[in-house]
Amino acid sequence: MRKTHYAAVLAVGALSLSACSSGGGSGAGGTADVAKPTVQTITLGSAADSQGPAPAVDGAKKGGTVNDLEQDDFNHLDPGQLYVSNQQAIAPLYSRTLTGYKVDPKSGSEKLVGDLATDTGEASADKKTWTYHLKDGLKYEDGTPITSQDVKYGIERLYADFETEGPIYVQTWLSGQDYRKVYQGPYGGKDLPDSVISTPDSKTIVFHFQAPHADAPYAMSMPNVSPIPKAKDTKQKYDQHPVSSGPYKIESYNAGKSLVLVRNDNWDPKTDPIRDAYPDKWNFELGIQDPGLTERLMAGSGDDKDALSLSQSAAPSQMVTILGDSKLKSRTVNQYQPFVEELSINTSRVKDPKVRQAIAYAFPTKQVQQALGGAAQMDVGSNLLSPTIGGFKPYDPYGKLTNPNGDPAKAKELLKEAGVSNLKLTLAFANTPKWRNFGTTLKNAFAKAGIDLQLQSIDATSYYTLVGKVNNPYDLYRTGWGADWGNGSTVIPPVRDGRIIADGVANYTHINDPHVNSEIDRINAITDLKTQQAEWEKLSEYILKNDSPSVPFGYDKFFNIYGEGLGGVTFRQDLGVINANTVYVK
Amino acid sequence: MLRFLVRRVLGAIVILILISAVTYFLFFALPADPALLSCGKNCNPQTVALIHHNLGLDQPIPVQYWHYMVGLFAGRDMPIGHCNAPCFGFSFANQQPVWDIIKDRYPTTLTLAVMGAAIFLTIGVGLGLISAARQGSLFDKIASGISLTGQSVQIYFIGPLAIYLFADNLGWLDRGHDVDWAHNPVGSITGMILPALVMSVIFWSNYSRQTRSLMVEQLSEEHVRTARAKGMNWRYVFFRYALRGAMGPIITIFGIDLGSVFGGAIITETTFGLHGIGNLAVAAVLQTDLPLEMGVMLFSAASIVLFNVLIDASYAFIDPRIRLA
Repeated sequence: MRKTHYAAVLAVGALSLSACSSGGGSGAGGTADVAKPTVQTITLGSAADSQGPAPAVDGAKKGGTVNDLEQDDFNHLDPGQLYVSNQQAIAPLYSRTLTGYKVDPKSGSEKLVGDLATDTGEASADKKTWTYHLKDGLKYEDGTPITSQDVKYGIERLYADFETEGPIYVQTWLSGQDYRKVYQGPYGGKDLPDSVISTPDSKTIVFHFQAPHADAPYAMSMPNVSPIPKAKDTKQKYDQHPVSSGPYKIESYNAGKSLVLVRNDNWDPKTDPIRDAYPDKWNFELGIQDPGLTERLMAGSGDDKDALSLSQSAAPSQMVTILGDSKLKSRTVNQYQPFVEELSINTSRVKDPKVRQAIAYAFPTKQVQQALGGAAQMDVGSNLLSPTIGGFKPYDPYGKLTNPNGDPAKAKELLKEAGVSNLKLTLAFANTPKWRNFGTTLKNAFAKAGIDLQLQSIDATSYYTLVGKVNNPYDLYRTGWGADWGNGSTVIPPVRDGRIIADGVANYTHINDPHVNSEIDRINAITDLKTQQAEWEKLSEYILKNDSPSVPFGYDKFFNIYGEGLGGVTFRQDLGVINANTVYVK
Repeated sequence: MLRFLVRRVLGAIVILILISAVTYFLFFALPADPALLSCGKNCNPQTVALIHHNLGLDQPIPVQYWHYMVGLFAGRDMPIGHCNAPCFGFSFANQQPVWDIIKDRYPTTLTLAVMGAAIFLTIGVGLGLISAARQGSLFDKIASGISLTGQSVQIYFIGPLAIYLFADNLGWLDRGHDVDWAHNPVGSITGMILPALVMSVIFWSNYSRQTRSLMVEQLSEEHVRTARAKGMNWRYVFFRYALRGAMGPIITIFGIDLGSVFGGAIITETTFGLHGIGNLAVAAVLQTDLPLEMGVMLFSAASIVLFNVLIDASYAFIDPRIRLA
């Protein structure tokens, strides 16, 4: 998934304040007060795990209203349009998918289980055909039953020209990269043929993919694999009031301002292994800017006593205060998100791998961590894949963990070997205090390695447009990417496949290695998930060592505080947000 | 008077059309592509082209602008559905009608503006009048000091302090909530007291100093001294002669300020988490949301232009020497 650009822009000011206030010392800027987060491998649950009701939270009770403060608007409620983290954080409250993530409230361990489906799916031997059976007793908010035809219809809608923002895994797996040329959605009166998706009865749905997809159960948990009742579909306007299949239904939505969810009486907890749904109501206040948002959660006065922010990390300017006060710290969540931060190297301009390796050696990981808000916000990293990916194996070819302040001597040596002197590079950064700080830190460190870094600021709203152009005039730029689930299949192909390079595509480094391209095809076809995960790890290590297209420097972390009136606050590692399903009002 | 008003309204329409054209065409000077914000994570050139088409961005800019202006007066059919006049289009970010969003946000801005204006006018002019009446007194010195301090501080500094003190610690005032006149009329007022008070500080500080200065100037005018020499009551002279003379510039400033806050108080709304026009303007810019930017810009500009017309018209009532033609 992706963090919204909007969020990134707004978070910047606060982060730089943190860097100033911590002064590079201990506290938020350091690591002393920050516990190491737990990392787990998210496994597939069994049919028994997929049965409801969800495991109870000790001491939890029903009732009350949870107040959620969010910086960004959701922009969309139509399940077909949901992708960014704040949208995915609330989706399970009103929308169910074929599979979903179940968090054990006691241990915090997470499993993928059947949500609407009785299990995580039955696959053919070649992993091309996947069959799902729906549970009994599934209903929409109006009491009508949820059928497999509704799930199929929900997927058919994803082919319509207005559904542009959600994930595209299922559509492309079913109909190829140009899936809209094959089928234009259900509004012309045509259905997807049974050879693509069949529904032999009202409780069975069968997906016929064009190629093997071992991680289909994970793709079925994406918010757009959701049932849509054809009779209630209002095309684009469905976005304003989708029909609920989850424990809550939409009472009101004012874009950018508020969202109120109230109980859906037709939701049956016995069918649901994931959601406890303790509160009677969820009240979302949108567009609340930091540091005010964090200050409200810290103060917890009035209704804010029962407040949290599902997807928004705390303002770094408040980190020292929160981490330094045991009472405040006792109600915080600090865990890994699936995002990896990297310095992308434009390989169309910086062509010599030795020069790229010199850049990697010169990179000062530790100072950058300090500049970006400290250990509670980001862990120093060296892999292209995040620790949240299954089969994660740390590798560190450029000594980013062992020598986190950088190795300018080694960088100089490599530049000499490459026959490069007086190297001048341009670093593009979003013109915000946080990324200016990042640029200045790099400039100082690179100077020690004999690299003259020219800082080029870009208006924050235009940043990704400009660095996303293939013929951009920059040598270096920071980018980030988050896995959609714990497999390298959602990271390596979109970011490192050289055959898809074009303006706006996520291969920002323009790496185009024939070996990598062919390996992507080979690994995608592996039918055993564990083997596939291990192969993605190997390929990512190969890319970093041989192509050196970027310098991965950090694993993002979620850090925030919640109101003292709340309990059952668990974390979703798959998404990097607070798990709304177990929260209760004390 | 009627001729004057017709002329000013026509002039205002020309100004608004110019503002709309400048805003519209400047948007396309930005390198940011709004399609990328709606393209999902696995973006590709086909999807970008599709979004350009959906948003109407694949047409020449003058054609887009013409359709936009026609929609404002006559409504228009758009891919998402028909948009009734005044059609400001649908937000790029959330596909909601821009006019509906503005209507939803405006009560908060309007309430903040009216309450804030009432406070800053009362306190500012009041302090200025008393200071002018008691020139050189202790009150005058303290009031001048407070005004200078008030003008020096910023809302984003005193706002959080006020929230911490009056809302979180003492619990005397609400920390600031959007208005909901239909369901919670009392809360709509109480929720706006603290933001209005904080917003008013920089305004009344200015008004206090301006009023004092203008009144001191007026009190030294020959006609005032003549009136006093003729034995007229000091209070009568102060309010009837001096204040009337000082009112013109004060009302001019008030009109400009009121138009600005009616168009959205960005910093106050952001500091207090209020969902008014100012907050909307920030969101529109950050999301490269052209229809929303246009809607907010035109609305804010219209507020300022309208209040300027009203202020010009009011001069005739304040100062009989002025004749509108």
